[in-house]
Amino acid sequence: MERILEKIKDIVVGGRFREIEAQLEEAIQGGVDLHSLINQAMIAAMDVVGDRFAKGKIFVPEMLVSAKTMEMGLEILQPLLKEDESLSRGSVLLCTVKGDVHDIGKNLVGMMLEGAGFRVTDLGVDQTVETVLEKIDEIRPDILGLSALLTTTMPEMQKVIEELNAHGLRDRVSVMIGGAPISAKFARHIGADAYGKDAAEAVAIARSLTASQ
Amino acid sequence: MKSSSHNLIMSALSNGRRGERPPAGNPTSVVCHGLMDEAGVSFPAAHLDAKAMADLALAGHEILGFDTVMPEYSVQQEAAALGCAVDWGDRDRMPDNKDFPNEDFSPVQVPEDLLEKPSMKVVLEALSILRRHVGGRVAIIGKVMGPWTLSYHMAGTQNFLLQIGMGETEKIKSMLRQLMPVTIAFARAQFEAGADVVVMADHATGNLVGPYHYEELLLPIHQEITAQIEGPLILHVCGDCSDRLELFARSGVEAYHFEWQVDAREAVEKVGHLISLVGNINNPEVLFQGSPEDVYEQARYAVAAGVNIIGPECAIPLATPIENLKAIVEAVREGY
Repeated sequence: MERILEKIKDIVVGGRFREIEAQLEEAIQGGVDLHSLINQAMIAAMDVVGDRFAKGKIFVPEMLVSAKTMEMGLEILQPLLKEDESLSRGSVLLCTVKGDVHDIGKNLVGMMLEGAGFRVTDLGVDQTVETVLEKIDEIRPDILGLSALLTTTMPEMQKVIEELNAHGLRDRVSVMIGGAPISAKFARHIGADAYGKDAAEAVAIARSLTASQ
Repeated sequence: MKSSSHNLIMSALSNGRRGERPPAGNPTSVVCHGLMDEAGVSFPAAHLDAKAMADLALAGHEILGFDTVMPEYSVQQEAAALGCAVDWGDRDRMPDNKDFPNEDFSPVQVPEDLLEKPSMKVVLEALSILRRHVGGRVAIIGKVMGPWTLSYHMAGTQNFLLQIGMGETEKIKSMLRQLMPVTIAFARAQFEAGADVVVMADHATGNLVGPYHYEELLLPIHQEITAQIEGPLILHVCGDCSDRLELFARSGVEAYHFEWQVDAREAVEKVGHLISLVGNINNPEVLFQGSPEDVYEQARYAVAAGVNIIGPECAIPLATPIENLKAIVEAVREGY
């Protein structure tokens, strides 16, 4: 079993999307436990991908294709899980803030979080404070992830946090932020719980934020 | 050498004779709200009207004191001419693409009258206006998008990068080859219209792709482009590109416009003998959120490191305080 898990992990790490379906089918038919496939092959693979990206060994194209491979795998595995076996580590609401239409970084964070077992709702780009509040009330996520690429849209993050406070929602949700112009200092300044410099760090932060809940 | 703005920039581009002081230059936009107010010209007019474009560019020299004028503030001029729907934004928002006509990597249709399209013509007219006003006194900078950036616009950035990851090398190379003539034609037309130097922005940035992607897919194209354009070119690629400076130096450009993430001393040491360097004041933390003293300090660091032309690392945030931009000019006026 170890060998086949390792093989699937390698396929995801290498982004060999054409091979994932056949390999998973073989594993499932061979009786490999679904949880092992998800935890020791898929999630473990995305941890390797995140680590390589953080170290500058791979870049966005490789990360995107690994995420695509992982997604294809999860599409096969998830329907096989019984309802009470949901593997969710927690839920995350993601968006790029108002005035900003950049989404690659946010999308990578979403893919990596899904790969790590989180349930992700991605609102997309250019989201107003009002929509974010409405969705928090509706979905009740454990974590809110806000993204901005432009220095001009950074202040929108602060507005979201201020409004969360004003509506008494701040204690219900952890806020993590990221994007090219964002820093840990800025996160502290606006009262966010955490700053992640890349998608791998976002996963580590999400794990620690949900673990402490 | 007479230390006019024009001469200081042109000499710095070839790492030539030093005048009285290093020049301050802006290959990318230095437009902020303060500058729009003082010049009496605002976005989006300055993306669409030649006179508004030129007036705002002149303000960069006359009000801020930069040694260059650069009239193109968006990165969407070519995309619009190639059929992308463009939202030209407003005073607070830069333009953006609304669709990606070649998302399926279908053949790119380059119109025969490309240079006559309104979004292209406006830039050429603005350059001619600037030539008439400050030609020979201030260095006039034109700007074109390279085929990599144009591919982001035509196919969508994430889609383009995913295809690279999926190993669709031929698809990628074919799109770059189809877009290369757009870059060449626009750059040549900008020189004819009055530009002294043209910036080629091509975002194979350190945060998105690796040096190996650049070397395999884009460097050969850049070498062809630079071989076909006679005038001086400045390459602009954002992000931390410390790992590919030597590759940029082989592209055939005269200069590289770089970000603060690349240490100025390291850049000069690695490639300063091969190409000129332009930059690299930090936008988000220093120009936007810092004080004039912070800006001054970074500019002096760049001067001491041997950066040839001092300026912001990239197009500045629109809310940048105007005093911070003036602090760059103050720093270069101190001399070497």
